[in-house]
Amino acid sequence: MDLLDRYLQAVKKHLPWKRQDDIIAELRANLEAQLEDKETGLGRPLSMGEAEDWLRQIGPPRQVAARYQPQQYLIGPVLFPSYLFVLRIVCFWTMIAYTIGSVALLATGTVSESRVLEAVLRAPGFLLTVAAWVTLGFAVVEFAATRRPEKFPTLAGSLSNWTPSTLPPLEKEAIRGKKPRSFASAVAEVIFGFLFLVWLLLIPHYPFLLMGPGALYLPYSPFQFAPVWVPVFWWVVALNVTQLVWRCVDLIRGAWRQQRRAERIVISAFGLIPLGMLLAVPDHAYFTLKNVTDQARYGAARDSINLSIKWSALVICAITVLQLLWSIWRISLDCYRKRAAAM
Amino acid sequence: MGYSMTIADNLFENLRLELRRGCLTLAALAQLRQEHYGYTLRKALAEHGLEIDESTLYPLLRRLEAQGLLTSEWREEEKRNKRFYRLSSDGEQIFAELLEEWQAINTSINSILQ
Repeated sequence: MDLLDRYLQAVKKHLPWKRQDDIIAELRANLEAQLEDKETGLGRPLSMGEAEDWLRQIGPPRQVAARYQPQQYLIGPVLFPSYLFVLRIVCFWTMIAYTIGSVALLATGTVSESRVLEAVLRAPGFLLTVAAWVTLGFAVVEFAATRRPEKFPTLAGSLSNWTPSTLPPLEKEAIRGKKPRSFASAVAEVIFGFLFLVWLLLIPHYPFLLMGPGALYLPYSPFQFAPVWVPVFWWVVALNVTQLVWRCVDLIRGAWRQQRRAERIVISAFGLIPLGMLLAVPDHAYFTLKNVTDQARYGAARDSINLSIKWSALVICAITVLQLLWSIWRISLDCYRKRAAAM
Repeated sequence: MGYSMTIADNLFENLRLELRRGCLTLAALAQLRQEHYGYTLRKALAEHGLEIDESTLYPLLRRLEAQGLLTSEWREEEKRNKRFYRLSSDGEQIFAELLEEWQAINTSINSILQ
């Protein structure tokens, strides 16, 4: 039957070449016996339509051939948990190494916005390449282990060798009534923290990132920034770098579910320094006039802006001090409770 | 409504296939206590009410043979070369254990349902 020959030929093309003749010979014997039975039952050969229906029922050649493949997945259930674990670790460290490398490269040359932007845009491609190599590595191990299981006895036994004594110690108590931070949200915090830092560093070169269309007005504005803004800006950058590094270390240590009281205290305490710098400026001169001759025209507006900045700094400072005191109080209370419970 | 029906149908189909997968292996092993080639095995199972697609059964026989549960030989029958399978000695032992397991599960489920 011509149609059956064509069908078997199509199946053969998708079979592993070492076993294809053997498989096809067996499949042919089975299908021909089935065909004979059908034709004996009908008392006549199958019509073209009936033969097509029969073969359609058996399935598309590619699908039939795929069932003979020993492996139909890239990474199987035994290796998959290890793959996911390694992928997370490798991607995380790649991101850290890439960030450090990019910052070092930028520091050695001239820092321009296009170079920063280029480094940021190159990161996803770099991460994807690393992830692809990890996946390929695990796929090769899976492929080899499926075909030569005797060469990989530890792979099959890796899960059965687990003992409860290897479990990590209990993590610190989660915040009552709150869900512990997930790994995904901890990673997202690091990524967004990094992006925020980049945005912050670009502001001096691209004021529109902060002020929007209002930045166009800056060159024509009668006001200019007082020198105090330079150290304040770098303090804010340093605080964000500290926070980012802290969160990265938490991720590496596997401590992202823990409460962040210590981090909050340190950030709040150091956050008071730039606020103190602002409040210590003589006469609260945060903005000055570009031309002294504009005093009569813009002097009142400048004083009004400076006064609102002073009050804003004072309010933020008060909130920060309260937060700091609250965090210290909570930590002291926890320590007292633990000590009381231990007695 | 139609969308949720499709999801329910797919879910049922996936669970049905999952449930059948192990049973088919057990049924094939049970039937291969006597020698069969692919097509007669399929017919014998169908006569007992267990229909199996060709594309499922024939590769399954290969896998069971590769795992050492079946032995096979090519032999001519009715002027046609056919590959005959039967349970190997390892296969007989594992089949007995699997049968015991299946009967225990069956008893448990019946007990739960009562």
